[in-house]
Amino acid sequence: MMRILPPWLRSARVLGGLTIVVIISLCAVFAPLLAPHDPNEQDLIATFLPPVWAKGGQAAYLLGTDSLGRDVLSRLIYGARVAMMVAVLASFGAMMIGGTLAYIAGYFGGRIDSLIGRAVDVWMSFPPVIMSLILMVGLGVGLRNVILAIILVDWTRFCRVLRSEVLVVARKDYVAAARLVGFSHWRTVTREIVPATLPLLITLVSLEMGIAVIVEAILSFVGMSVSSNTPAWGQMIADARQYIYDSPWNLLFPILAIFFAVFGFNLLGDGLRRTLDVRLTATQRV
Amino acid sequence: MDMLIAKNLGVSAALPDGSVPVIQELNFSLPQGKVLGLVGESGAGKSMIGRTIAQLLPPGFSVTAGELMFDGQDLVRMPAETRRELLGREIAFIPQEPLSGLNPVLTIGRQIDEHLARLGIGNARARRDHALGMLNDVHLSHGADLLDKYPHQLSGGMCQRVLIAMAFASRPKLLVADEPTTALDVTIQARIVQLIAEMQERDGTSVVFITHDLRLAAQVCDNILVLYAGRPAEYGPARSVFAQPAHPYTRCLQLSNPAMSGPRRALYALPERMPGLSAIKGIEGCLFAPRCPKVVPECTRALPPFVDVADGQVAACIRPETTATIAAPALSASDAPQAGVPLLEVRGLTKTFRIGGGLFRNRAFTAVKDVSFTLHQNEFIGIVGESGSGKSTVARMLCGLERPTEGEFEIDGREVSDGSTSSRAHLRAHVQMVFQDPQSALNPRRRIASIVTQAMEAAGGTSGKERLERAEALLLEIGLPPDAARRFPTQLSGGQRQRVNIARALCVAPNILIADEIVSGLDVSVQAQLLNLLMQLRRKRGFSMLFISHDLSVVRYLCDRMLVMYRGEVVESGPTDRIFAAPSHPYTRTLLAAVPPDDPSAVWSPQPLETDVVAPADMLQEANV
Repeated sequence: MMRILPPWLRSARVLGGLTIVVIISLCAVFAPLLAPHDPNEQDLIATFLPPVWAKGGQAAYLLGTDSLGRDVLSRLIYGARVAMMVAVLASFGAMMIGGTLAYIAGYFGGRIDSLIGRAVDVWMSFPPVIMSLILMVGLGVGLRNVILAIILVDWTRFCRVLRSEVLVVARKDYVAAARLVGFSHWRTVTREIVPATLPLLITLVSLEMGIAVIVEAILSFVGMSVSSNTPAWGQMIADARQYIYDSPWNLLFPILAIFFAVFGFNLLGDGLRRTLDVRLTATQRV
Repeated sequence: MDMLIAKNLGVSAALPDGSVPVIQELNFSLPQGKVLGLVGESGAGKSMIGRTIAQLLPPGFSVTAGELMFDGQDLVRMPAETRRELLGREIAFIPQEPLSGLNPVLTIGRQIDEHLARLGIGNARARRDHALGMLNDVHLSHGADLLDKYPHQLSGGMCQRVLIAMAFASRPKLLVADEPTTALDVTIQARIVQLIAEMQERDGTSVVFITHDLRLAAQVCDNILVLYAGRPAEYGPARSVFAQPAHPYTRCLQLSNPAMSGPRRALYALPERMPGLSAIKGIEGCLFAPRCPKVVPECTRALPPFVDVADGQVAACIRPETTATIAAPALSASDAPQAGVPLLEVRGLTKTFRIGGGLFRNRAFTAVKDVSFTLHQNEFIGIVGESGSGKSTVARMLCGLERPTEGEFEIDGREVSDGSTSSRAHLRAHVQMVFQDPQSALNPRRRIASIVTQAMEAAGGTSGKERLERAEALLLEIGLPPDAARRFPTQLSGGQRQRVNIARALCVAPNILIADEIVSGLDVSVQAQLLNLLMQLRRKRGFSMLFISHDLSVVRYLCDRMLVMYRGEVVESGPTDRIFAAPSHPYTRTLLAAVPPDDPSAVWSPQPLETDVVAPADMLQEANV
């Protein structure tokens, strides 16, 4: 007997995106078990080895080695840890701040709404890359500060998009009806408004994860993220950049890893948006 | 000469499980210069006929039988280019929603100009002069100012007049008006109908007038065609169809509409509702048989043939002679219980909104001005008035959704307008509101049981089982099957949703219900069911109600006393019977005269069409309220 799946699990986009995200997450969680080598183990006799299928490749190093003879595959697998940690923590952090302010602004409206709206406007007028670099200079390097910088830059995205949705839902008569039967503000928001905006929230988080992966790669590329003994994709790109003519593989693999991670998150986000958003599914049915 | 002839026209829709007739066996002929009324409830296929004329059928729908002749040419089989030439020139349309009929980002002038250019009127100057003339013809003064306005700056009635002017610009031979007045206030409805009649007489245009209001159709039309589930039920001269309906459906429609004059009678409430597209196939014989009060076994054998019942009047019924015996149940004395002690006392209620929002240009707009009245136990008070008269603002203040700017009100002897927590609790226990639009008032993500017992959830301390039991009891009381408790609002019909809406308000057993336009937008048969339900609930529970409506006949049926509001003020109040018999304020008289009378042979004389002078400030108010 075939079990009936919820509609969002039947979408090809969601399944494709979910598969990529799950694979990367498994790599991150089980990195010590999956990686064939220690990511920092140097083999100075075997530097710049090409991947195993190219001429001169060795079976011990499936995707070749870098300038210090470190195994690229192992470094990629360990790099997923940094990427996923940033993706999850930064996007949830941004959601918490941006989402909370969006619910407050959209539900109460009036002066509070315009105050929060102005704050978002001012915040968004700084270019995001410059702002995160300034924040990094101010906060100092390190993974924790990378996450903090992403949260501080990107909460506005949540706040702005979600606020307009909350505004629409909060004007519905059923929200007024809930207040009339005696729901407190807290209960009205959590029981009537949050469920209606949850699909949008999930979608935004998923998209934000992709953005966080890119921002972390940029910051570790310029050496502001993790220390050099922790492998990260952006750092791998920075290392490989100097030897781009000797060993283009070293540059290609971390780029592909970032590409697939972002592609997976975006695919998942787009699929969820299409299947969870009541308005979109309703028009499809007609 | 006949302008539009339908010969055995049939339209079918392709559904996953085969094709279903949407329109069947449609026959009529519309002579030049006459008006044909297409009457029926939503889903009867009235609009589908309009769309067939324009050949704008939804995907999957197609004409499968018969022909539709316009001025000697078959509209269905003619090439698309020929039809395009006819539409907008020879055949004009007036839509239901005036605001969505106009493009919101273009000025009125631009849109009229485009239309005139298509009609081939030479240069821009000539077109402008022509446009001004057109606007003058539909009694819109200040035409030159109007041309520079955008649709949202005008009221619905003004937009509809612009559309009428555009429709008549080409002096069309045929006009299709699809519910042109449904979205408008009664006084404006009367003017629009008069205007169409005036223009139609001037140009000798034939009109197809689509409406759900039998009384209006009887006044406006020469012939009436009553549709039921896509098949004509009755067709004939308007006066005779209205005076001696031969089909039971026509008779029931008439009886389910509250009367405007004569003694108050109970409403005849047809059970259930019209079968939808997917249900039509499952009905054997007469489509109306499942709801017909005079059904006999023969009715379910075959589709009834069309029988001549009188001069030019045909009905699809095998026993048309029994129709006249259908009568509404008598109104018993207990339907009007004695009013008890005063429950709600409103004194000088005023609400002022600030509009504009600018730093320096803050303007105040008084939506409600000095409203006072007393609501007694067991009493139903109706508040009538046009849109923007402040009716809904009064309702929102009385249930605590808005704070009054001035004035106060007392419920059960306790002053509650101060907004404190204890006042709010007191208010909640005594007053509940039923919202207008069940679509927006019911959370689509909650099951019905959870919606109707929301008050218990708010109070806390009840188990899921208790709540389900309470929900089932409430559903039974408002006439829904108990298994509806587990469904979601989208799985219910509009009328059923409105019942759920009422059930939620009744959950806390309030003394006072505030009902804001709760039957507008519903079909008359569903409206009759709901009105009867409210009467029955009053008998059983003995609550008072503030019933806000723009429909005077409904207020007359339901309410003991009424308040007439005009621009935020109560201009007249008193017992309903007294006000209907002898209105004292001129505005009340205008309102009453705007409703088509019960007797189609009586002269309907709404107030003469004065050219309306809407000052800019007023337009702003209309747009904001």
